[in-house]
Amino acid sequence: MNTTFTRRAVLASGVAALMTPSILRAQESDIAIGSLTPNTGGGGPFGPNITASHKRVAEAVNAAGGILGRQVRLFQENSETNPETAVRAADKLINVNQVIAIIGTFSSSVTLGIMPKCQSADVIQMCTSSSSDIPIADEKGLVFNFQPLSPIWGRAIADLVLSRGIESYALMALNNDFTRSMMDGFMERVGSNAIIQEPFYYNAGQSSYRSEVTQLIEKSPKAVFIPSYVADFTAVYKELYRQGYEGVVITTSLSTGAQFKETVGAAGDGVIHGFPVPALSSPAYKQYLGEAGLEDTGSVQHPFGTAGRDQMTALLLAVERAGTTDSAAVARAIWDVTTGDGKTTVYNLADGLEALRAGEEINYSGASGSLEFDAEGSVLGRDFQLSEIRDGQDVVLQRLEL
Amino acid sequence: MSLQMIINALVNAALIAPPAMAFSLLFGILRFPNFAIGGYITVGAFAAYTFNVVFGLSLPLAAAGAMAFTALVVWGTHIIVFRPMQEQSAITLLVVSMAVTLILENVIRFFFSSDVRGFDIPLERPWKVMNAHITPEQLQIIAWSLVIGVSLHLLLAHTRIGRAMRAVADNPMLAAIRGVNAARVTAFTTAVCGALFGLTGVFAGLDLVIEPLVGWNLTIPIFAAAILGGIGSPYGAILGALLVGLAEEATILVLPSTYKVAVGFVIIAVLLLLRPQGLFGTAEIKK
Amino acid sequence: MSAYLISMSTFVGFFMILALALNLQWGITGMVNFGVAGFYALGAYTSGLLAVKLGIPVGLAILAACLAGMSMGAVVALLSMRLREDFLAIVTLGVGEIIRLIVLNEDEITEGPRGLRIDAQPFGTLVGPELYPVFYLGLVALCVVLTYVVCESIRRAPMGRTLRAIREDDVVAEVLGKNVFLHRVCIFAVGGFFMGLAGALYAHYVQNISPEVFMPVLAMFIWMSVIVGGAGNNRGILLGAGTVMVFLEGTRFIGDFVDVLDAEKMSALRIILIGLLLILTLRLRPRGLLPEPKFRVNSN
Repeated sequence: MNTTFTRRAVLASGVAALMTPSILRAQESDIAIGSLTPNTGGGGPFGPNITASHKRVAEAVNAAGGILGRQVRLFQENSETNPETAVRAADKLINVNQVIAIIGTFSSSVTLGIMPKCQSADVIQMCTSSSSDIPIADEKGLVFNFQPLSPIWGRAIADLVLSRGIESYALMALNNDFTRSMMDGFMERVGSNAIIQEPFYYNAGQSSYRSEVTQLIEKSPKAVFIPSYVADFTAVYKELYRQGYEGVVITTSLSTGAQFKETVGAAGDGVIHGFPVPALSSPAYKQYLGEAGLEDTGSVQHPFGTAGRDQMTALLLAVERAGTTDSAAVARAIWDVTTGDGKTTVYNLADGLEALRAGEEINYSGASGSLEFDAEGSVLGRDFQLSEIRDGQDVVLQRLEL
Repeated sequence: MSLQMIINALVNAALIAPPAMAFSLLFGILRFPNFAIGGYITVGAFAAYTFNVVFGLSLPLAAAGAMAFTALVVWGTHIIVFRPMQEQSAITLLVVSMAVTLILENVIRFFFSSDVRGFDIPLERPWKVMNAHITPEQLQIIAWSLVIGVSLHLLLAHTRIGRAMRAVADNPMLAAIRGVNAARVTAFTTAVCGALFGLTGVFAGLDLVIEPLVGWNLTIPIFAAAILGGIGSPYGAILGALLVGLAEEATILVLPSTYKVAVGFVIIAVLLLLRPQGLFGTAEIKK
Repeated sequence: MSAYLISMSTFVGFFMILALALNLQWGITGMVNFGVAGFYALGAYTSGLLAVKLGIPVGLAILAACLAGMSMGAVVALLSMRLREDFLAIVTLGVGEIIRLIVLNEDEITEGPRGLRIDAQPFGTLVGPELYPVFYLGLVALCVVLTYVVCESIRRAPMGRTLRAIREDDVVAEVLGKNVFLHRVCIFAVGGFFMGLAGALYAHYVQNISPEVFMPVLAMFIWMSVIVGGAGNNRGILLGAGTVMVFLEGTRFIGDFVDVLDAEKMSALRIILIGLLLILTLRLRPRGLLPEPKFRVNSN
């Protein structure tokens, strides 16, 4: 039948025509790594920083001779914050580019969505996702989550806020896994007496947030907690301001970065936000700022870019340590190079490689956190910091050492 | 329903009504639902941003600039993409317009990234009206919406070009026989609609945030308002916008706010079942 | 590489089934369905939830998904028969979105934004893991053939030809009466059946589904498959689905060659390129790559 020939011909010729294995697959001697980040869609504000960090680390190490004498080849794909396309992107990375790891996924649905393929191909994953399903679905121990699970965030923010003596809260969260589980943690600590109405969720990408905000402030709570992403939070905050809300607005620092501050200007003063932080005085973080060309403002900057740098660094150190690209060995080595006491602390890839090659055991302490992983590949709670926006700057209010 | 809810609904409607009218006008002339309106609105928002923040113009001037620029873009896409294909079926053109909106959105993203932005305008605190709040900015949006509605009515009913627009929308062949230059009228219509989409971009930037997805997020309510009102009827679009605005607010009285979008659709569906041509729609303009 | 082609072909298979079903609905009954993503979601979640939460055998779960799609199709068709095509587009888009919102919000049942993990696979225990992807491709290919045969039979059958002939003309349709009306509903429902099938096959293949998979943009790409391929021509549809997938996935490879732009710009550029390719294809072949064969009076 003509059909079979035609469709196969189109597909095969279309795809195969672009195929020149020697270009698309990394050279036999290269180490291929997949950087799958949300460059468009809901995660669009965050993805590009992550992959830029991956690229910087890769370029630096290649210039210095590579890992195990091999060059690092980075393959970047856009997850579009959409598991439907991300799965195909992952397929290409795994089957065509033959990557040993896929790093940089952001939304839980993407991380979990590509996991079946990664697990069956023994491909390591590194993500900054929140779902507590991630360690459960990771049956082979190949997934490393560089973001503390969000109930921890919620509890930490609540602990920090409670000391400010606020009597009544109202809660509203973006309707995704990350923010919803953060709300649960918060509610647990604050207690149901202080929450004066049923918490609820809202969807992103709406044409207006008026009804949500009206509902949120209906009973005049003294404070509102709104876990969210920057695009929807900015729109929600503008609406809060315009509906005359004068209480305390609490959120995560994800939502209150430079984009938020520039968009709302002086009206943003007074917003309280929390975030797991590396010691902002950490050498790794300061080095990151230098690498990314940022000024040290004392605020949390590039919350995911720092994680990207850490992912790539930890992965490459692990490959060097393991002496192979076999995923089980590399996965074990990731623990070796990041976790545990009695080792040389290093803050960047170059120092780490030098130490490893001198036969030392290392503990990479990163730009996004000290990176101690539990047995399931989740990063242990980092320090938490609560800040307030004053005069357009972040002022640290309190820290919680976990 | 509280006073605040009514105010919210009015502001919602004011944001949606002008683009819904423009969409209706476009449909009347071009005879297919143009999905590219999301892209047009985003272009308007970013054009205004560029004039206001990058070039330092005041917001009214930036808005005017955005309207002119968007009119150019809409007219441009008409000339380059849609007009050469105008013989095709409505569905084909609809699919093409989807591709156009993808392109426009990503051209913006190419130059501006996905970062969230705002105009160089301080946020205002509201006035208090009984126990509800409204900001002067929101009142302006409502006022402008009304002005546009009235102006459009005057344009269509009382000017030559307006009558020509209506003639081409009703029956292009007859209009041609009567000496109306359909191509010029269409070009003019696209420019007018473009200006409206540009203004919507400005309002959306004020009301929400300026980001590549801003137009896409408004597309469905705009469609809903236009269809509810009866495609091809700009006045219907205003009523449709009001109904959609009210529906969005009323949702949370019965359902969790995560179903807001759904309620809008249900209302449209119910209304269309009762009155398949929409509130003010005329009978078949099928392609 | 072969593993990649096998999985891409599997994904094309899902698109093909969806596009064939859509073309059945649009080409025969003239009813524009923009809620494709909703039917897909219905199929995926029906099968997935039954298999995961109730332990129902996969085969039965998939069948249930098909029936769910069929019922939804019947309901939508019954309710919207009177509507004009552009209205129907919005209403069906609404249906699709409502289904997605229900899946997202009723997370007690569906796991909502957390995503649903589906371990059960058809014949998963019988076929070994190395061969399974090939086996699944075979299964999907079989379903594509099945869908094609059914759609083509309907298209060629007397009722199919009648319906096609009158799909633009409601007056004639009314004159011909209730018989025609019921047939349209049935055929639309059959389309829903296959969309549900595609959803179920998808769910058991990727083994993890979430509401974000089923956004309206998916309906866009399936419609593009239909229009680029040639609405009304089932062979064209198959070609269209393959072509759209080549556009979507082929453009990824450009990033492997070109390294001058940063990731965000490359991503934007890729989507712009996909849009341009689609517009170009439609400019050059406005009636599709394989347009509908001319209606012949003495066809066999």
